Amino acid sequence: MKIKITISLLLIVLMASAFIPHQPPHKLTYLKLVIPKGWPQPPTNIFATNPLTEEGFQLGRKLFYDARLSRDSNFSCAGCHQQFAAFATYDHDFSHGFNNSFTTRNAPGLFNIAWQKELHWDGGVNHIEVQPLSPFTAANEMATTLPEILKKLKADTAYARLFKNAFADGMINSQHMLKALAQFTGSIQSYNSKYDKVKRGEDSFTVSEALGYKTFMASCNSCHREPLFTDNSFRNNGLPLNKKWMDKGRMTITGNLADSLKFKVPSLRNISLTFPYMHDGRVVSLGKVIDHYRNSIDTAQPTLDMLLKKRIAISDQEKVDLISFLLTLKDDVLTHDPRFKQPN
Amino acid sequence: MMKPALCLLIFFCVIFLLPPATVNAQQQPNIKISFINYAGNQPLVPDSLYANCWKENYSVSRLKYYISNIALQTSNQKWNAEQNSYHLVDESDSLSKNFSFYLPSGNYTTLSFLIGVDSLKNVSGAQTGALDPLNSMFWTWNSGYIMFKMEGTSPQSAAVNNKIEYHIGGFSGVDNAVKKIRLQLAGIPVAINNKSITEIIIRANIDKLWNAATVLKITETPVCTIPGPLAGRIAANYTTMFDVLKIVQR
Repeated sequence: MKIKITISLLLIVLMASAFIPHQPPHKLTYLKLVIPKGWPQPPTNIFATNPLTEEGFQLGRKLFYDARLSRDSNFSCAGCHQQFAAFATYDHDFSHGFNNSFTTRNAPGLFNIAWQKELHWDGGVNHIEVQPLSPFTAANEMATTLPEILKKLKADTAYARLFKNAFADGMINSQHMLKALAQFTGSIQSYNSKYDKVKRGEDSFTVSEALGYKTFMASCNSCHREPLFTDNSFRNNGLPLNKKWMDKGRMTITGNLADSLKFKVPSLRNISLTFPYMHDGRVVSLGKVIDHYRNSIDTAQPTLDMLLKKRIAISDQEKVDLISFLLTLKDDVLTHDPRFKQPN
Repeated sequence: MMKPALCLLIFFCVIFLLPPATVNAQQQPNIKISFINYAGNQPLVPDSLYANCWKENYSVSRLKYYISNIALQTSNQKWNAEQNSYHLVDESDSLSKNFSFYLPSGNYTTLSFLIGVDSLKNVSGAQTGALDPLNSMFWTWNSGYIMFKMEGTSPQSAAVNNKIEYHIGGFSGVDNAVKKIRLQLAGIPVAINNKSITEIIIRANIDKLWNAATVLKITETPVCTIPGPLAGRIAANYTTMFDVLKIVQR
């Protein structure tokens, strides 16, 4: 009898299970952002509502390298953010956009974005996920529209598969596209330069680099604060107004006169790859950048940063050593990482 | 001895064959909020010519605004809010002008909502649905939602092609253009229950944009497309454009 009851019960369970919907579980491989030792925690968790997964990252990677995201299919994100240049535009003051146009600001390197609260030189973008909307739609960049982009993505079966892998409902929509892009760009990190290796005890500075580091700590670190080499603040560093663009920087966003000519302090990581320098790429070399802080700061500007009122005293020898040190911030691991290369 | 087991089997089969009780009958929408845009004292017809209170002529080709964070207050002072309450009212899309949701039964006296999108959603990255940037209501160069968008023409406008263009946004500090609206429900309290649908029809009179808290004329300010003091004044004006036209129960 007992056996019969057991069999019946088993039968019941079997039959019952037929009525429970069996969806194949949506498999996601979760990834974690590296917080290098000794680094501060990011100000916000950029992946709080966008869990970082291998599947999302790979979709973002394909999108990042896909020139069809622009109006004439000539300009991908990677067109202006080149891996070999730490995801800046190599050797360009301005990047090129649709119909032979120029951007109005120098493309910044993309790395350690998880530590940035505001994006763009003027901090106008408040979240990594919405940043691509600017280059997508700007007439002098990718010059397209969201409906146009989504139409192209929906027509491509490769994307159908990738969106399905990355998101439970597999929908190809702007939110998923932007979240996937954020997973890719937010994962780009730079923490393997010679400087980092020295800090970890895996390498050592030359005499000149060590002297340059001392000068850096004394003269530069209050704004370009290690280990990120920026404090992510907005400051006026005494460059004259660019008369062509009349670009007032942060003031464009806040409408506050006190923010006139303030721009975000850029990270100095990978600085040897991101020339020319400053928000409009007007300074061609590191030596000339140091010369600006030594000799050319316009001290008459009312919004000039307090720390620059007397310019910065750096001797010729210190300048040479400082440049040696700045070159140690180049991260070859980042620029060669196969994970960030164009997918096949 | 087979019998009890068989009974059990049949019993369980029946149980599992029944539809799952996940659809809570109580969650059926029982309230509908509808918006009708007006130009002065007549319903707005896009591209028709109207005169505002200053006798300036204008026509509207595009009118969109966010209604969010809808809540209703009961006669015992309890607020019940719609979940995930974000709606884009678009004059050109009749389906967008009304939305239904569920409210616990009770006697309600006050309706409240935001015109615009709360600051949190302005800083929370890519959204979907009503908040999808696809809806052309998101600024890309200075992140944030356009709370209210009205475009058209006016012979009194000195702007290019006689445009009038009001893109009102800004969500923080002095530039905050998000406004809270509170409307008393006429003939209060309104009994909302599970057996009928209560429709609250709201009139939105765009003429108020030029004449409420402050005087604004098309001749002087035909265009506003950035956050700031002017956007704040326009928002303060259009905050007064809503009133309850009628309440219908069916």
